[in-house]
Amino acid sequence: MSVEVRIPTVFRRFTNQEAVASLEPGTIADLVAQLERRYPGIGDQLLAEDRQLHRFINVYLNDEDIRYLNKLETQVSEGDTVSLLPSVAGG
Amino acid sequence: MEGSGLADVVRMSRALADEMVEHCLQERPNEACGILAASNGDITKVFRMTNATRSPVRYALDPQEQFAAYKKLEESGWDLGGVFHSHTRTEAYPSPTDVRLASEDVPYVIVSLASDPPSIRAFRILKESLIDADGRIEEATVVVEEGEGDGPPDG
Repeated sequence: MSVEVRIPTVFRRFTNQEAVASLEPGTIADLVAQLERRYPGIGDQLLAEDRQLHRFINVYLNDEDIRYLNKLETQVSEGDTVSLLPSVAGG
Repeated sequence: MEGSGLADVVRMSRALADEMVEHCLQERPNEACGILAASNGDITKVFRMTNATRSPVRYALDPQEQFAAYKKLEESGWDLGGVFHSHTRTEAYPSPTDVRLASEDVPYVIVSLASDPPSIRAFRILKESLIDADGRIEEATVVVEEGEGDGPPDG
């Protein structure tokens, strides 16, 4: 249990208000699958029907946006922190 | 996003309200945006951000700036007290786009530059799920506290 995933407020109703989840290392896709197993329903909030990240979710590995890394295939190692952020937009 | 029980009052000093409005005025003709930090229910800091869309009718917080600001919130022990943006030509009320794209369970503060002085209102946009396009709009109260002592004395 060595990867820290930070959960934004908007998803904490799926996590019993937990702000941080400790997960096993793997790819971002693996982490999403672990989250869904632990907190059923959260996966649909993160992934669209095409199984890619919803466009209104930004995911950071430590300080880097995974869109500029390997997206869902980005490898997350022990000690890393993954942050999920809802994009904030409107008109 | 229903019934989180978060504050439905946005309470801020005149100095912070003026800072937020100033950012909105400076960004015209485009919409301006940012977030508000809160501590014990009071707004403590205005984070001015880049509107990544650079548009007069749309806004999106620059993702990297948003990430840095959220880290700062955490380091400082602050809460996300609100999200703000401007409407440059329309009233301070959530547009259909604001509702469709709403994602945070905090008050959305809207600064309308259609009036002089600009008007400030705030709304919760309540959704069953982040991915819902529809939401229920509930107005929150904005309290701008006049008075002295908004910052350290000069010198």
